[in-house]
Amino acid sequence: VKFDPSLPEDGINVSRAHPLREALLLVGGVVAVAAAVAVAVAVVADLAAPHIPIELEARLFSGWFDRGVEDDEAATPREQSLARLLNRMAGHWPESPYGFEIAIWDEPEANAVALPGGVIAVTNGLLESVESENELAFVLGHELGHFHNRDHLRGLGRGIAFSLLLVAVGVGGGGSAVQLASLAGQFAQRDFSRDQEIEADRFGLALLAAEYGHVSGAGAFFEHLPEPDGALKSGLASYFSTHPVNADRIQALRAAAGEMGWALRGERQPLPSWQLPR
Amino acid sequence: MDPFVDLSVRFGIPLVLLVVAYFTGTTLERRHYASIRERELRWRSIPAITFRSIPPGWRATECALVTGSVVISVDYFKRFLSGLRMIFGGRVKAYETLLDRARREALLRLKEGAVERGYHAVVNVRLETCRIANSRNSESVAGLEVLAFGTGVKLLNIP
Repeated sequence: VKFDPSLPEDGINVSRAHPLREALLLVGGVVAVAAAVAVAVAVVADLAAPHIPIELEARLFSGWFDRGVEDDEAATPREQSLARLLNRMAGHWPESPYGFEIAIWDEPEANAVALPGGVIAVTNGLLESVESENELAFVLGHELGHFHNRDHLRGLGRGIAFSLLLVAVGVGGGGSAVQLASLAGQFAQRDFSRDQEIEADRFGLALLAAEYGHVSGAGAFFEHLPEPDGALKSGLASYFSTHPVNADRIQALRAAAGEMGWALRGERQPLPSWQLPR
Repeated sequence: MDPFVDLSVRFGIPLVLLVVAYFTGTTLERRHYASIRERELRWRSIPAITFRSIPPGWRATECALVTGSVVISVDYFKRFLSGLRMIFGGRVKAYETLLDRARREALLRLKEGAVERGYHAVVNVRLETCRIANSRNSESVAGLEVLAFGTGVKLLNIP
């Protein structure tokens, strides 16, 4: 037997492809698939959400967010007093099918969101920015208005899809469920239209008038608006970035107050004792 | 943690690792292939064949087991590519070069070992592959070993 010493052809067992091209192709594929799934989830959830019966909504989302302040003995005085204020405001909407609950998120940005299942979350940043109980009551009333109009379910699909996507890429791994929920909620909230905000404002205004006999806090709240040139007048800037305010909205508030004969001025209640002066 | 810091730690570190691994991995691979081609040319006259017995006409006087083995590591970039491949399927091209290098290196070491001991050829050559798992996480592969072994023979007549 004779031995053939020639070398075999080089690279027969190796596919010639640039590794970077391969990486680009695969990463692009993953991104495309994730985006398609997120869009599909968002569209389906957005279509379905407004048709969810309220009982089902409460059951579905009951475990999602921080809640149960009222029957939680460990609740801080701040949480209890906020829950009492919420109950007082919600008391002027007796036919409400929700059992409202309050959640306080420890975030520096001022914000408030209406979450599925009847939870209203406010951030520490908001609590520190408001200057009277009436202002806070108006914010709660406004969020109650979103529940009344079921706005809180409209952007939810996008919120869920977005937070699912975040979990998928690993951002959710370290972040708490609360942060995720907060993100989803803010995402949903950002999409509210001007009309939805105005409707919620009107509802909040009605609750405010019923509670205090005047709507002074609502006007005061808007005094914290960021300056037109972009300079931020108060810590509430982040609240206004998710609850955009424009002249229309304030005009609509004034008009509503005038229409209903609600006094724009009146004595504002001081904040409960947990709110220490800055 | 500040979300920005959190994000940059979560994505920044793996990204830096990917870039570093891409450059080190491709450089090492290029150098390794250059060395493989050069040595294959040098040792091409040493037969390493898969005959189970000494081929007819060869007159052997001495024989012994000879081996050559190599342990080669998967770099972070290749692992990333193969991880994505596991989603879609298809050729894991990143690992093809890795295994190709390992097999050819093991065969070269087999030949070099045989020559060092004065053998003229290796018959009944076999290749074995095994993966070396990380102890921390048995699912991830730390590297792979390719072992080439066969019977080195001294010959009276060089074919």
